[in-house]
Amino acid sequence: MRIALGIAVALASAVAAPASAQQPTLVLSAFGVAQDQLRKDLYAPFEAKCGCKIVVEVGNSADRLAKLEARKANPEVDIAVMADVNALEAANKGLIDPIDVSKLTNYDKLYDVVKDPLGNKMGVGYTYYATSIIYRSDKVKIESWTDLWKPELKGRLALPNITTTQGPLLLFMADRAFGGTTPDFATGINKVSEIKGGVVTFYERAAQLAQLFQQDEIWAAVTGRFNWPLLKKLNMPLAWATPKEGLTGGLNVLVLTKGSKNKELAMRFMDEWLSTEAQTRLAMSQVDSPANKEVKLPPEIADVLTYGEDTAKGLKLIPPAQMLANREAWVSGWNSKIAR
Amino acid sequence: MFEDRRIGIALAAPAVLFVMLAFLLPVGILLSGSVTTPGGWGISRFTTFFAEPLYQEVVWRTLRLGALVTLASAAIGYAAALAIVDTSPATKGRLVGLFILPLMISPVARTYAWIVILGRTGLVNQVVTGLGLSDEPLRLLFTETAVFIGLVQLFLPLMVLSLVSALENLPADVVPAARVLGANWIAVFFRVILPLTREGLVIGGTLVFTGAVTAYITPAVLGGSKVLMLETLLYQRVSVANDYVSASVIAVILIAMSVAANALLKRAAAARKR
Amino acid sequence: MRYAGHAVLAAVVLFLIGPFLVIAAAGLSAGDTLTFPPQGLSLKWITAVFGMENFRQSFVLSLWLAVGSTALALLFGVPAAYGLARYPVPGRDFMRSIVFTPVIVPGIIAGLALLRHAVIPLGLPVTTALILAHTVLVVPYAVRVVTASLEHLRTDVEEAAVILGATRTGTFFRVVLPNIRNGILAAFILGFVTSFNQVPVSLFLTGPGITTLPIDMLASMEFVYDPSIAALSALLALMSMAIVMIAEKMLGLSRYV
Repeated sequence: MRIALGIAVALASAVAAPASAQQPTLVLSAFGVAQDQLRKDLYAPFEAKCGCKIVVEVGNSADRLAKLEARKANPEVDIAVMADVNALEAANKGLIDPIDVSKLTNYDKLYDVVKDPLGNKMGVGYTYYATSIIYRSDKVKIESWTDLWKPELKGRLALPNITTTQGPLLLFMADRAFGGTTPDFATGINKVSEIKGGVVTFYERAAQLAQLFQQDEIWAAVTGRFNWPLLKKLNMPLAWATPKEGLTGGLNVLVLTKGSKNKELAMRFMDEWLSTEAQTRLAMSQVDSPANKEVKLPPEIADVLTYGEDTAKGLKLIPPAQMLANREAWVSGWNSKIAR
Repeated sequence: MFEDRRIGIALAAPAVLFVMLAFLLPVGILLSGSVTTPGGWGISRFTTFFAEPLYQEVVWRTLRLGALVTLASAAIGYAAALAIVDTSPATKGRLVGLFILPLMISPVARTYAWIVILGRTGLVNQVVTGLGLSDEPLRLLFTETAVFIGLVQLFLPLMVLSLVSALENLPADVVPAARVLGANWIAVFFRVILPLTREGLVIGGTLVFTGAVTAYITPAVLGGSKVLMLETLLYQRVSVANDYVSASVIAVILIAMSVAANALLKRAAAARKR
Repeated sequence: MRYAGHAVLAAVVLFLIGPFLVIAAAGLSAGDTLTFPPQGLSLKWITAVFGMENFRQSFVLSLWLAVGSTALALLFGVPAAYGLARYPVPGRDFMRSIVFTPVIVPGIIAGLALLRHAVIPLGLPVTTALILAHTVLVVPYAVRVVTASLEHLRTDVEEAAVILGATRTGTFFRVVLPNIRNGILAAFILGFVTSFNQVPVSLFLTGPGITTLPIDMLASMEFVYDPSIAALSALLALMSMAIVMIAEKMLGLSRYV
């Protein structure tokens, strides 16, 4: 037993050795997407400036939130990026600290919509996106959210599951389009349940859509603009709809973990992420749409991202308070009407 | 020389204690959440769980798919195992190797392939429409059928390997003897082969059923949210809703299912013996 | 009858192996998206995979983890299998059932339970937690395979050695161990593969900068849609294939599964 434990410890330290260097380490919790590019455009330049090391934990928002909560007494993550909903949940559970925005030199350069999306300065948006319908322009024509109910889309439609960040957005727009007035989106839920039989899948992974379009499984899907660069690569007749009811959207935010021992470094990193230079590099690599107003993009890049003052102002977002107050109701409505 | 039980206990103790402390204890604490209620102990968590129509559906689907996958694996497994034991020893070794191979490959990779094969423009639909069996491509992805196919592929090898070792222990002359006595193949199978290999069937069946009901990646990738099974629901409850209580209820149900399946198969085998 | 048998066998083997051929072909695609049949053949995605830093790191970790946890599991499992197979231990079946429990508990629950009720309260580092979890998962396989292999070994050989003056420990190391060597190797390979491919348990136990290969693959499947995952899957399949073929050739792995 003792020998076994000794070996375990020896092995553990052997494996852990590369990570435990002397320089200060900042732990970032992030999405598992484009990490190679992020390292090049953001982490490496910052590491060169601060003489520190950035260690990244990757996963989807929900998984990482679960881990943050489990480790809240002794957090290992210093700074996290999350979808707005999950960040709100984290704030609600007391897992994150408010941000002293006066220390962020780049704060005033941000679009208003990302400045305080969670309320109480609990998070700052570093990118935002529009959500709409992407469709096969050779097969259907989509000018309204209600066009998703067209019979020709039966068996050819993919919608986001309620468990994803896009799910509530779908209900929000369906509800608006059909004249719903209650915050529990009852109208939207009922309307979506009418077509559930014709929905190929309520998807959970964004990358799935590329596959579904390519395999000719679907002709239309509700998704965020962040999926657009990937889908454009398919070289198919795909179009981004501008429905008459407008576009919705969401944003991803940076949050500070409560109890982090690297607050100061985390703030510097956050400021770096919001800087015009870093935001421009990330936009040019089509990683994230810029949240910084000063970022200037050539038209071919702007075209695939969510970009510009007008776009930012035109988005119809679900107010955070409504999101928090009604999320349970949406999920249970979804479970009883749509998931079955 | 092996009469001193203390030596045996001393040898077994580290492993048993290790599993108890490093596994059973934490799992036990988590599972105890399923029977802890605000007022003490009770089964109210279970009644609440089963009152939700969606969850009933998921439990029922998990049981149904588990049973179907086990049945299909047994049927295909016998056909394959009988053919394997019929070959020369060298071929047999190679064939068994072929059946072990899929078990060694990551389920992530194994499931991934089916997305491409079962798609609307995938291999299966190319064949189906090519042969004129159907005008429209079949909808296979994100259906129970897809999950069923994926699970059979995942767990069939376990059944085949269990049955091969059971068939190898079959006395070489029983089948010819039965044939000489005038039994047809169906009678030989049900009266001779099945009763004599039931232990292999019980082992294989339990492995396949347990594997099928607790599989995570296959239902998640091939079924998606429209074909929730208990394990995918469990993940959703934990990861999206942080609902550890429902999670522990589901875990208890899953463990009970595996234990019950094993007991049931054993009984069925014993009943046949009499 | 025999031809029918062969036909069935061919169909079953095709069903089991075919999907890998599809994945391998998709991984050799020259195009930018995952399709079958592939759009032209090239090795570009195979080479791309080797260039991906995160996959390289998680591959190394998974390798270490699989070797380390299997070795530990054997340290626990071999004596336990021997003790339970040879000595009249009271409650032997009960002890065996305890050791086998990690197989029947759903992986997600095991991972979650370890995270919440062992790793966090004890403040274990991520790597220790992973080693611990994987060791527990492999112990049942170690015990099962070694037990099977001990059953093939007649006890009178050991008795003879003791009568001829060897100590018990000496007998174990000089007589028993060499005879069950193949069983131990088989257990090692099974344990290695179990740990290397493990997903649900690791899902909650991986941490910042420390992630296993299958978890990394799943994470990139969420966002990436190109043949790199297929290429990686094909490479891993090749690795597994090599291990199985060597093992089957050297020790007849099939006897122990």
